[in-house]
Amino acid sequence: MKVVVYAFEEAWASLRRSGKSAVISMGTIAIAFVTLGGFLLVSVNVQRALDRWMEAAEMSVYLVEGVNDETLASLESYLRAQSAVAAVEFISKARALERFRTDAPELADVAGSLADNPFPAAFEVRLNSGALAAELAEELARGATAREGVADVRYDRRWLARLLVIVASARVAGGLAAGVLMLGAAFTVAAVVRLSLYARRDELEIMQLVGAPFSFIRGPSVVEGLLLGGIGATAAFAVVGLAYVMMARWLGPDLAGLIGEGQILFLGFSEAAVMLIGGLAVGAGAGAWASRAATQV
Amino acid sequence: MIETQGLGKMYGRGLYALQDLTLTIDKGEFVFMTGPSGAGKSTLLRLLLLQERPTEGDVIVGGRNLARLTRAEVQAYRRTVGFVFQDFKLITTKTVFENVSFALRVLGLPVEQQRRRTYQVLKWVGLQHRLNSLPSELSGGEQQRVAVARALVNEPHLILADEPTGNLDPDLSLEIMNLFRDINASGTTVVVATHDRELIKWVGRRVIQLEHGRLAGMEDAR
Repeated sequence: MKVVVYAFEEAWASLRRSGKSAVISMGTIAIAFVTLGGFLLVSVNVQRALDRWMEAAEMSVYLVEGVNDETLASLESYLRAQSAVAAVEFISKARALERFRTDAPELADVAGSLADNPFPAAFEVRLNSGALAAELAEELARGATAREGVADVRYDRRWLARLLVIVASARVAGGLAAGVLMLGAAFTVAAVVRLSLYARRDELEIMQLVGAPFSFIRGPSVVEGLLLGGIGATAAFAVVGLAYVMMARWLGPDLAGLIGEGQILFLGFSEAAVMLIGGLAVGAGAGAWASRAATQV
Repeated sequence: MIETQGLGKMYGRGLYALQDLTLTIDKGEFVFMTGPSGAGKSTLLRLLLLQERPTEGDVIVGGRNLARLTRAEVQAYRRTVGFVFQDFKLITTKTVFENVSFALRVLGLPVEQQRRRTYQVLKWVGLQHRLNSLPSELSGGEQQRVAVARALVNEPHLILADEPTGNLDPDLSLEIMNLFRDINASGTTVVVATHDRELIKWVGRRVIQLEHGRLAGMEDAR
Protein backbone atom coordinates (compact mmCIF):
# COMPACT_ATOMS: atom_id res chain seq x y z
CA MET A 1 0.00 0.00 0.00
CA LYS A 2 2.87 2.37 0.93
CA VAL A 3 4.48 1.83 -2.45
CA VAL A 4 1.20 2.66 -4.21
CA VAL A 5 0.75 5.88 -2.21
CA TYR A 6 4.40 6.80 -2.82
CA ALA A 7 4.13 6.02 -6.54
CA PHE A 8 0.98 8.14 -6.96
CA GLU A 9 2.41 11.06 -4.96
CA GLU A 10 5.64 11.08 -6.95
CA ALA A 11 3.88 10.53 -10.28
CA TRP A 12 1.47 13.39 -9.66
CA ALA A 13 4.32 15.70 -8.63
CA SER A 14 6.22 14.64 -11.74
CA LEU A 15 3.24 15.35 -14.01
CA ARG A 16 2.90 18.82 -12.53
CA ARG A 17 6.61 19.38 -13.04
CA SER A 18 6.46 18.12 -16.65
CA GLY A 19 3.85 20.73 -17.61
CA LYS A 20 3.68 21.15 -21.37
CA SER A 21 5.37 17.89 -22.26
CA ALA A 22 2.79 16.00 -20.18
CA VAL A 23 -0.04 17.86 -21.94
CA ILE A 24 1.48 17.01 -25.35
CA SER A 25 1.79 13.39 -24.32
CA MET A 26 -1.82 13.22 -23.16
CA GLY A 27 -2.87 14.96 -26.38
CA THR A 28 -1.05 12.37 -28.48
CA ILE A 29 -2.75 9.57 -26.60
CA ALA A 30 -6.09 11.34 -26.96
CA ILE A 31 -5.62 11.63 -30.74
CA ALA A 32 -4.81 7.92 -31.00
CA PHE A 33 -7.81 6.97 -28.92
CA VAL A 34 -10.17 9.39 -30.66
CA THR A 35 -9.22 7.57 -33.86
CA LEU A 36 -9.85 4.22 -32.19
CA GLY A 37 -13.09 5.42 -30.60
CA GLY A 38 -14.39 6.97 -33.81
CA PHE A 39 -13.54 3.82 -35.65
CA LEU A 40 -15.35 1.72 -33.02
CA LEU A 41 -18.37 4.04 -33.11
CA VAL A 42 -18.69 3.79 -36.89
CA SER A 43 -17.98 0.08 -36.78
CA VAL A 44 -20.72 -0.61 -34.21
CA ASN A 45 -23.31 1.25 -36.25
CA VAL A 46 -22.26 -0.13 -39.65
CA GLN A 47 -22.45 -3.62 -38.16
CA ARG A 48 -25.92 -2.85 -36.83
CA ALA A 49 -27.05 -1.67 -40.28
CA LEU A 50 -25.55 -4.73 -41.94
CA ASP A 51 -27.25 -7.06 -39.46
CA ARG A 52 -30.57 -5.40 -40.19
CA TRP A 53 -30.06 -5.63 -43.92
CA MET A 54 -29.02 -9.25 -43.61
CA GLU A 55 -32.16 -10.04 -41.63
CA ALA A 56 -34.33 -8.27 -44.21
CA ALA A 57 -32.58 -9.92 -47.14
CA GLU A 58 -34.80 -11.99 -49.40
CA MET A 59 -34.38 -14.45 -52.19
CA SER A 60 -36.58 -13.96 -55.25
CA VAL A 61 -37.21 -17.08 -57.33
CA TYR A 62 -38.54 -15.88 -60.70
CA LEU A 63 -40.66 -18.27 -62.71
CA VAL A 64 -40.80 -18.92 -66.42
CA GLU A 65 -43.89 -17.82 -68.38
CA GLY A 66 -46.84 -20.22 -68.30
CA VAL A 67 -45.58 -22.49 -65.55
CA ASN A 68 -48.24 -25.05 -64.65
CA ASP A 69 -49.85 -25.50 -61.22
CA GLU A 70 -48.18 -28.84 -60.60
CA THR A 71 -44.67 -27.40 -61.11
CA LEU A 72 -45.63 -24.40 -59.02
CA ALA A 73 -46.80 -26.59 -56.13
CA SER A 74 -43.75 -28.80 -56.37
CA LEU A 75 -41.42 -25.78 -56.30
CA GLU A 76 -43.25 -24.24 -53.35
CA SER A 77 -43.01 -27.53 -51.42
CA TYR A 78 -39.31 -27.71 -52.20
CA LEU A 79 -38.71 -24.15 -50.96
CA ARG A 80 -40.71 -24.61 -47.76
CA ALA A 81 -38.80 -27.79 -46.94
CA GLN A 82 -35.41 -26.00 -46.84
CA SER A 83 -33.99 -25.18 -43.39
CA ALA A 84 -32.68 -21.78 -44.52
CA VAL A 85 -36.20 -20.66 -45.37
CA ALA A 86 -38.29 -18.73 -42.84
CA ALA A 87 -41.31 -17.94 -45.09
CA VAL A 88 -42.42 -18.27 -48.70
CA GLU A 89 -44.87 -16.02 -50.49
CA PHE A 90 -46.14 -16.45 -54.06
CA ILE A 91 -46.29 -13.22 -56.08
CA SER A 92 -48.37 -13.62 -59.23
CA LYS A 93 -47.70 -11.64 -62.42
CA ALA A 94 -50.74 -9.44 -61.67
CA ARG A 95 -49.55 -8.74 -58.11
CA ALA A 96 -46.07 -7.93 -59.30
CA LEU A 97 -47.50 -5.32 -61.71
CA GLU A 98 -49.70 -3.90 -58.98
CA ARG A 99 -46.69 -3.59 -56.65
CA PHE A 100 -44.79 -1.77 -59.35
CA ARG A 101 -47.61 0.72 -59.71
CA THR A 102 -47.74 1.25 -55.93
CA ASP A 103 -43.99 1.43 -55.39
CA ALA A 104 -43.25 3.61 -58.42
CA PRO A 105 -46.27 5.89 -58.95
CA GLU A 106 -44.14 8.26 -61.04
CA LEU A 107 -43.88 5.47 -63.62
CA ALA A 108 -47.64 4.70 -63.60
CA ASP A 109 -47.93 5.98 -67.22
CA VAL A 110 -45.32 3.51 -68.38
CA ALA A 111 -47.11 0.66 -66.63
CA GLY A 112 -50.43 1.71 -68.17
CA SER A 113 -49.06 1.88 -71.68
CA LEU A 114 -47.82 -1.71 -71.67
CA ALA A 115 -49.82 -4.13 -73.80
CA ASP A 116 -48.68 -7.18 -71.82
CA ASN A 117 -47.68 -7.58 -68.20
CA PRO A 118 -43.85 -7.92 -68.38
CA PHE A 119 -43.39 -8.88 -64.71
CA PRO A 120 -42.73 -12.56 -64.04
CA ALA A 121 -44.45 -14.48 -61.27
CA ALA A 122 -42.13 -15.28 -58.41
CA PHE A 123 -41.70 -16.84 -55.00
CA GLU A 124 -40.36 -14.39 -52.46
CA VAL A 125 -38.40 -16.33 -49.89
CA ARG A 126 -37.55 -14.83 -46.48
CA LEU A 127 -34.42 -16.40 -45.04
CA ASN A 128 -33.37 -17.29 -41.54
CA SER A 129 -30.62 -15.08 -40.09
CA GLY A 130 -27.21 -16.29 -39.02
CA ALA A 131 -24.01 -17.53 -40.60
CA LEU A 132 -25.23 -21.07 -41.02
CA ALA A 133 -28.31 -19.77 -42.84
CA ALA A 134 -26.02 -17.79 -45.17
CA GLU A 135 -24.32 -21.00 -46.30
CA LEU A 136 -27.62 -22.82 -46.54
CA ALA A 137 -29.07 -19.91 -48.53
CA GLU A 138 -26.27 -20.27 -51.08
CA GLU A 139 -27.12 -23.94 -51.37
CA LEU A 140 -30.82 -23.10 -51.69
CA ALA A 141 -30.11 -20.57 -54.45
CA ARG A 142 -28.16 -23.19 -56.41
CA GLY A 143 -30.88 -25.80 -55.81
CA ALA A 144 -33.75 -23.48 -56.81
CA THR A 145 -31.96 -22.40 -60.00
CA ALA A 146 -31.82 -26.04 -61.09
CA ARG A 147 -35.53 -26.66 -60.51
CA GLU A 148 -38.05 -26.92 -63.32
CA GLY A 149 -40.04 -23.70 -63.95
CA VAL A 150 -37.40 -21.39 -62.49
CA ALA A 151 -36.16 -18.57 -64.76
CA ASP A 152 -33.78 -16.84 -62.37
CA VAL A 153 -32.85 -16.55 -58.68
CA ARG A 154 -31.89 -13.17 -57.19
CA TYR A 155 -30.33 -13.15 -53.80
CA ASP A 156 -29.70 -9.90 -51.78
CA ARG A 157 -27.20 -11.50 -49.45
CA ARG A 158 -24.67 -11.97 -52.18
CA TRP A 159 -23.89 -8.25 -52.38
CA LEU A 160 -24.32 -7.93 -48.65
CA ALA A 161 -21.72 -10.65 -48.17
CA ARG A 162 -19.36 -8.69 -50.40
CA LEU A 163 -20.13 -5.57 -48.36
CA LEU A 164 -19.33 -7.53 -45.22
CA VAL A 165 -15.92 -8.44 -46.64
CA ILE A 166 -15.26 -4.77 -47.43
CA VAL A 167 -16.35 -3.73 -43.94
CA ALA A 168 -14.18 -6.43 -42.37
CA SER A 169 -11.19 -5.21 -44.43
CA ALA A 170 -11.91 -1.63 -43.38
CA ARG A 171 -12.07 -2.83 -39.78
CA VAL A 172 -8.63 -4.45 -40.04
CA ALA A 173 -7.20 -1.32 -41.69
CA GLY A 174 -8.76 0.91 -39.01
CA GLY A 175 -7.44 -1.36 -36.27
CA LEU A 176 -3.95 -1.21 -37.77
CA ALA A 177 -4.10 2.59 -38.04
CA ALA A 178 -5.24 2.84 -34.42
CA GLY A 179 -2.47 0.43 -33.43
CA VAL A 180 0.19 2.54 -35.16
CA LEU A 181 -1.16 5.69 -33.51
CA MET A 182 -1.16 3.97 -30.13
CA LEU A 183 2.43 2.89 -30.66
CA GLY A 184 3.30 6.51 -31.39
CA ALA A 185 1.43 7.54 -28.25
CA ALA A 186 3.34 4.94 -26.23
CA PHE A 187 6.65 6.36 -27.48
CA THR A 188 5.53 9.87 -26.50
CA VAL A 189 4.57 8.69 -23.01
CA ALA A 190 7.91 6.90 -22.72
CA ALA A 191 9.73 10.09 -23.72
CA VAL A 192 7.87 12.14 -21.10
CA VAL A 193 8.55 9.52 -18.43
CA ARG A 194 12.23 9.48 -19.37
CA LEU A 195 12.31 13.27 -19.02
CA SER A 196 10.77 12.88 -15.57
CA LEU A 197 13.34 10.25 -14.70
CA TYR A 198 16.07 12.62 -15.82
CA ALA A 199 14.62 15.35 -13.61
CA ARG A 200 14.59 12.88 -10.69
CA ARG A 201 18.01 11.38 -11.45
CA ASP A 202 19.49 12.48 -8.11
CA GLU A 203 16.63 10.87 -6.22
CA LEU A 204 16.89 7.71 -8.31
CA GLU A 205 20.60 7.44 -7.61
CA ILE A 206 19.99 7.77 -3.87
CA MET A 207 17.15 5.25 -4.08
CA GLN A 208 19.47 2.77 -5.78
CA LEU A 209 22.22 3.33 -3.24
CA VAL A 210 20.02 2.95 -0.17
CA GLY A 211 18.61 -0.26 -1.59
CA ALA A 212 15.06 0.87 -2.28
CA PRO A 213 12.91 -1.96 -3.67
CA PHE A 214 12.37 -1.83 -7.45
CA SER A 215 8.68 -1.23 -6.87
CA PHE A 216 9.60 2.11 -5.24
CA ILE A 217 12.11 2.96 -7.97
CA ARG A 218 9.95 2.11 -10.97
CA GLY A 219 6.49 2.53 -9.44
CA PRO A 220 6.25 6.31 -9.97
CA SER A 221 7.18 5.93 -13.66
CA VAL A 222 4.58 3.23 -14.22
CA VAL A 223 1.93 5.30 -12.45
CA GLU A 224 2.96 8.41 -14.38
CA GLY A 225 2.46 6.52 -17.64
CA LEU A 226 -0.80 5.12 -16.30
CA LEU A 227 -2.06 8.62 -15.50
CA LEU A 228 -0.94 10.02 -18.87
CA GLY A 229 -2.62 7.14 -20.71
CA GLY A 230 -5.74 7.18 -18.55
CA ILE A 231 -6.27 10.93 -18.80
CA GLY A 232 -5.58 10.87 -22.56
CA ALA A 233 -8.00 8.00 -23.16
CA THR A 234 -10.66 9.60 -20.95
CA ALA A 235 -10.33 12.85 -22.91
CA ALA A 236 -10.64 10.85 -26.13
CA PHE A 237 -13.73 9.10 -24.80
CA ALA A 238 -15.27 12.49 -24.00
CA VAL A 239 -14.47 13.76 -27.52
CA VAL A 240 -16.02 10.64 -29.11
CA GLY A 241 -19.07 11.08 -26.85
CA LEU A 242 -19.42 14.70 -27.95
CA ALA A 243 -19.06 13.68 -31.60
CA TYR A 244 -21.76 11.05 -31.06
CA VAL A 245 -24.18 13.57 -29.53
CA MET A 246 -23.61 15.97 -32.46
CA MET A 247 -23.98 13.18 -35.03
CA ALA A 248 -27.14 11.90 -33.37
CA ARG A 249 -28.64 15.39 -33.37
CA TRP A 250 -27.72 16.43 -36.91
CA LEU A 251 -27.54 13.19 -38.84
CA GLY A 252 -29.72 10.93 -36.68
CA PRO A 253 -32.98 11.27 -38.68
CA ASP A 254 -31.16 10.61 -41.98
CA LEU A 255 -29.16 7.69 -40.62
CA ALA A 256 -32.21 6.16 -38.94
CA GLY A 257 -33.45 5.07 -42.37
CA LEU A 258 -30.25 3.13 -42.93
CA ILE A 259 -29.71 1.79 -39.45
CA GLY A 260 -33.30 1.14 -38.44
CA GLU A 261 -35.51 2.19 -35.62
CA GLY A 262 -34.13 4.38 -32.83
CA GLN A 263 -30.99 6.48 -32.58
CA ILE A 264 -27.57 5.55 -33.83
CA LEU A 265 -25.79 3.60 -31.11
CA PHE A 266 -23.02 4.87 -28.83
CA LEU A 267 -20.12 2.64 -27.80
CA GLY A 268 -21.10 -0.36 -25.72
CA PHE A 269 -19.44 -1.38 -22.45
CA SER A 270 -16.83 -3.54 -24.17
CA GLU A 271 -15.82 -0.80 -26.65
CA ALA A 272 -15.62 1.78 -23.84
CA ALA A 273 -13.52 -0.68 -21.80
CA VAL A 274 -11.20 -1.21 -24.78
CA MET A 275 -10.61 2.54 -24.96
CA LEU A 276 -10.15 3.27 -21.26
CA ILE A 277 -8.30 0.12 -20.22
CA GLY A 278 -6.29 0.36 -23.45
CA GLY A 279 -5.22 3.90 -22.55
CA LEU A 280 -4.19 2.85 -19.05
CA ALA A 281 -2.34 -0.20 -20.37
CA VAL A 282 -0.49 1.69 -23.12
CA GLY A 283 0.56 4.39 -20.63
CA ALA A 284 1.62 1.98 -17.88
CA GLY A 285 3.48 -0.20 -20.38
CA ALA A 286 5.35 2.78 -21.78
CA GLY A 287 6.18 3.97 -18.25
CA ALA A 288 7.47 0.53 -17.27
CA TRP A 289 9.54 0.33 -20.45
CA ALA A 290 11.00 3.79 -19.96
CA SER A 291 11.98 3.08 -16.35
CA ARG A 292 13.65 -0.26 -16.94
CA ALA A 293 17.10 1.37 -17.13
CA ALA A 294 16.60 2.80 -13.64
CA THR A 295 16.90 -0.65 -12.10
CA GLN A 296 19.97 -1.90 -13.98
CA VAL A 297 22.71 -3.00 -11.61
CA MET B 1 33.37 -8.57 7.38
CA ILE B 2 34.98 -7.85 3.98
CA GLU B 3 37.16 -10.27 2.07
CA THR B 4 38.42 -9.97 -1.48
CA GLN B 5 40.10 -12.81 -3.37
CA GLY B 6 41.99 -12.01 -6.58
CA LEU B 7 39.56 -9.17 -7.16
CA GLY B 8 39.86 -7.38 -10.50
CA LYS B 9 37.99 -4.80 -12.49
CA MET B 10 38.89 -4.29 -16.10
CA TYR B 11 37.54 -1.56 -18.38
CA GLY B 12 37.86 -1.89 -22.13
CA ARG B 13 40.77 -3.89 -23.49
CA GLY B 14 43.15 -4.80 -20.71
CA LEU B 15 42.76 -1.54 -18.81
CA TYR B 16 42.71 -2.61 -15.17
CA ALA B 17 41.35 -0.30 -12.48
CA LEU B 18 41.90 -3.07 -9.94
CA GLN B 19 43.96 -6.21 -10.33
CA ASP B 20 44.45 -9.33 -8.22
CA LEU B 21 43.45 -7.63 -4.96
CA THR B 22 43.30 -9.88 -1.92
CA LEU B 23 42.59 -8.34 1.46
CA THR B 24 40.51 -8.70 4.60
CA ILE B 25 38.76 -6.10 6.73
CA ASP B 26 37.44 -7.32 10.07
CA LYS B 27 34.03 -6.65 11.49
CA GLY B 28 33.99 -3.43 13.52
CA GLU B 29 37.28 -2.23 12.02
CA PHE B 30 38.01 1.35 10.86
CA VAL B 31 40.17 1.21 7.75
CA PHE B 32 41.62 3.86 5.47
CA MET B 33 42.32 3.19 1.83
CA THR B 34 44.86 5.49 0.34
CA GLY B 35 46.87 5.98 -2.81
CA PRO B 36 47.29 8.46 -5.64
CA SER B 37 44.53 9.30 -8.14
CA GLY B 38 43.79 6.27 -10.30
CA ALA B 39 45.07 3.85 -7.64
CA GLY B 40 41.69 2.07 -7.54
CA LYS B 41 40.27 3.38 -4.25
CA SER B 42 36.98 4.55 -5.70
CA THR B 43 36.70 1.46 -7.90
CA LEU B 44 37.00 -0.78 -4.84
CA LEU B 45 34.29 1.21 -3.06
CA ARG B 46 32.08 1.02 -6.15
CA LEU B 47 32.51 -2.74 -6.18
CA LEU B 48 31.72 -2.91 -2.46
CA LEU B 49 28.57 -0.89 -3.04
CA LEU B 50 27.81 -2.98 -6.15
CA GLN B 51 27.59 0.06 -8.37
CA GLU B 52 29.72 -2.12 -10.62
CA ARG B 53 30.38 -5.84 -10.85
CA PRO B 54 33.91 -7.26 -10.65
CA THR B 55 35.36 -8.77 -13.83
CA GLU B 56 37.63 -11.13 -11.86
CA GLY B 57 37.75 -12.72 -8.43
CA ASP B 58 35.37 -12.56 -5.52
CA VAL B 59 34.28 -9.93 -3.07
CA ILE B 60 32.65 -11.32 0.05
CA VAL B 61 30.85 -9.06 2.51
CA GLY B 62 29.21 -10.53 5.61
CA GLY B 63 29.57 -14.01 4.10
CA ARG B 64 27.85 -13.12 0.83
CA ASN B 65 29.68 -13.20 -2.48
CA LEU B 66 28.57 -9.92 -4.05
CA ALA B 67 29.39 -11.03 -7.59
CA ARG B 68 26.64 -13.65 -7.39
CA LEU B 69 23.81 -11.49 -6.04
CA THR B 70 20.68 -11.02 -8.12
CA ARG B 71 19.37 -7.51 -8.76
CA ALA B 72 16.84 -7.81 -5.93
CA GLU B 73 19.51 -9.20 -3.59
CA VAL B 74 21.77 -6.27 -4.48
CA GLN B 75 19.09 -3.89 -3.22
CA ALA B 76 18.66 -5.93 -0.03
CA TYR B 77 22.45 -5.88 0.50
CA ARG B 78 22.63 -2.12 0.01
CA ARG B 79 20.16 -1.66 2.86
CA THR B 80 22.93 -2.89 5.16
CA VAL B 81 25.51 -0.42 3.83
CA GLY B 82 25.75 3.34 4.34
CA PHE B 83 27.63 5.52 1.87
CA VAL B 84 29.20 8.98 1.96
CA PHE B 85 30.62 10.70 -1.12
CA GLN B 86 32.88 13.69 -1.66
CA ASP B 87 30.09 15.56 -3.47
CA PHE B 88 27.55 14.80 -0.70
CA LYS B 89 24.87 13.62 -3.21
CA LEU B 90 22.09 15.51 -1.47
CA ILE B 91 18.80 16.19 -3.24
CA THR B 92 18.84 19.94 -3.72
CA THR B 93 15.05 20.36 -3.71
CA LYS B 94 14.56 18.57 -0.39
CA THR B 95 15.20 19.93 3.09
CA VAL B 96 17.76 18.46 5.48
CA PHE B 97 15.03 16.43 7.20
CA GLU B 98 13.58 15.22 3.89
CA ASN B 99 17.00 14.24 2.53
CA VAL B 100 17.61 11.97 5.49
CA SER B 101 14.07 10.61 5.87
CA PHE B 102 13.94 9.93 2.11
CA ALA B 103 16.30 6.98 2.69
CA LEU B 104 13.69 5.47 5.01
CA ARG B 105 10.64 6.55 3.04
CA VAL B 106 11.72 4.66 -0.08
CA LEU B 107 12.12 1.54 2.03
CA GLY B 108 8.46 1.81 3.03
CA LEU B 109 8.97 2.42 6.75
CA PRO B 110 6.03 3.81 8.76
CA VAL B 111 5.95 7.62 8.82
CA GLU B 112 6.29 7.85 12.60
CA GLN B 113 9.38 5.63 12.53
CA GLN B 114 10.83 7.73 9.68
CA ARG B 115 10.37 10.92 11.69
CA ARG B 116 11.75 9.53 14.95
CA ARG B 117 14.86 7.96 13.44
CA THR B 118 15.57 10.95 11.19
CA TYR B 119 15.37 13.36 14.10
CA GLN B 120 17.57 11.13 16.27
CA VAL B 121 20.30 10.85 13.68
CA LEU B 122 20.22 14.55 12.78
CA LYS B 123 20.50 15.37 16.47
CA TRP B 124 23.44 12.99 16.70
CA VAL B 125 25.31 14.84 13.92
CA GLY B 126 24.35 18.18 15.50
CA LEU B 127 21.94 19.43 12.88
CA GLN B 128 18.68 19.35 14.80
CA HIS B 129 18.44 23.14 14.38
CA ARG B 130 18.68 22.94 10.54
CA LEU B 131 15.88 20.46 9.84
CA ASN B 132 14.03 22.69 7.39
CA SER B 133 17.04 24.16 5.60
CA LEU B 134 17.80 23.34 2.00
CA PRO B 135 21.28 21.97 1.17
CA SER B 136 22.13 25.24 -0.59
CA GLU B 137 21.66 27.04 2.74
CA LEU B 138 24.26 24.88 4.51
CA SER B 139 28.06 25.03 4.72
CA GLY B 140 30.12 22.22 3.16
CA GLY B 141 30.70 20.64 6.56
CA GLU B 142 26.98 20.76 7.37
CA GLN B 143 26.11 19.22 4.00
CA GLN B 144 28.53 16.37 4.64
CA ARG B 145 27.04 15.87 8.10
CA VAL B 146 23.62 15.52 6.44
CA ALA B 147 25.14 12.90 4.12
CA VAL B 148 26.60 11.08 7.15
CA ALA B 149 23.20 11.23 8.86
CA ARG B 150 21.58 9.74 5.77
CA ALA B 151 24.19 6.97 5.71
CA LEU B 152 23.46 6.17 9.35
CA VAL B 153 19.71 6.46 9.47
CA ASN B 154 19.24 2.94 8.13
CA GLU B 155 21.49 1.56 10.91
CA PRO B 156 23.98 -0.11 8.53
CA HIS B 157 26.65 -2.66 9.45
CA LEU B 158 29.13 -1.05 7.08
CA ILE B 159 29.89 2.57 6.14
CA LEU B 160 31.75 3.30 2.89
CA ALA B 161 33.10 6.81 2.41
CA ASP B 162 34.78 8.00 -0.79
CA GLU B 163 36.93 11.10 -0.16
CA PRO B 164 34.36 12.40 2.37
CA THR B 165 36.55 15.38 3.28
CA GLY B 166 37.70 16.19 -0.25
CA ASN B 167 35.58 19.35 -0.40
CA LEU B 168 36.13 20.45 3.20
CA ASP B 169 38.73 22.57 4.98
CA PRO B 170 40.96 20.89 7.61
CA ASP B 171 38.81 21.82 10.62
CA LEU B 172 35.61 20.52 9.02
CA SER B 173 37.48 17.42 7.86
CA LEU B 174 38.42 16.62 11.45
CA GLU B 175 34.83 17.21 12.49
CA ILE B 176 33.62 14.63 9.93
CA MET B 177 36.37 12.18 10.93
CA ASN B 178 35.26 12.47 14.54
CA LEU B 179 31.79 11.46 13.43
CA PHE B 180 33.21 8.39 11.67
CA ARG B 181 35.19 7.49 14.80
CA ASP B 182 32.03 7.70 16.88
CA ILE B 183 30.15 5.57 14.36
CA ASN B 184 32.94 2.99 14.48
CA ALA B 185 32.94 3.06 18.27
CA SER B 186 29.36 1.80 18.18
CA GLY B 187 30.50 -1.31 16.28
CA THR B 188 29.95 -0.31 12.67
CA THR B 189 32.68 -1.19 10.18
CA VAL B 190 33.99 1.95 8.47
CA VAL B 191 36.01 2.09 5.23
CA VAL B 192 37.24 5.54 4.19
CA ALA B 193 39.04 6.24 0.92
CA THR B 194 41.24 9.32 1.12
CA HIS B 195 44.60 10.61 -0.03
CA ASP B 196 44.87 13.01 2.92
CA ARG B 197 47.86 11.64 4.86
CA GLU B 198 47.47 14.22 7.64
CA LEU B 199 43.96 13.07 8.31
CA ILE B 200 45.03 9.44 8.37
CA LYS B 201 47.76 10.25 10.89
CA TRP B 202 45.34 12.23 13.01
CA VAL B 203 42.77 9.43 13.17
CA GLY B 204 45.43 6.72 13.39
CA ARG B 205 44.00 3.47 12.05
CA ARG B 206 44.96 0.65 9.68
CA VAL B 207 45.82 1.87 6.17
CA ILE B 208 45.49 -0.11 2.93
CA GLN B 209 47.70 1.37 0.24
CA LEU B 210 46.75 0.93 -3.40
CA GLU B 211 48.80 1.79 -6.47
CA HIS B 212 47.92 1.19 -10.11
CA GLY B 213 45.00 -0.98 -9.03
CA ARG B 214 47.14 -3.29 -6.91
CA LEU B 215 47.75 -3.68 -3.21
CA ALA B 216 50.94 -1.72 -2.52
CA GLY B 217 51.13 -2.21 1.23
CA MET B 218 49.48 -2.13 4.62
CA GLU B 219 50.41 -0.07 7.63
CA ASP B 220 49.00 0.77 10.99
CA ALA B 221 48.94 4.51 11.59
CA ARG B 222 48.25 4.12 15.30
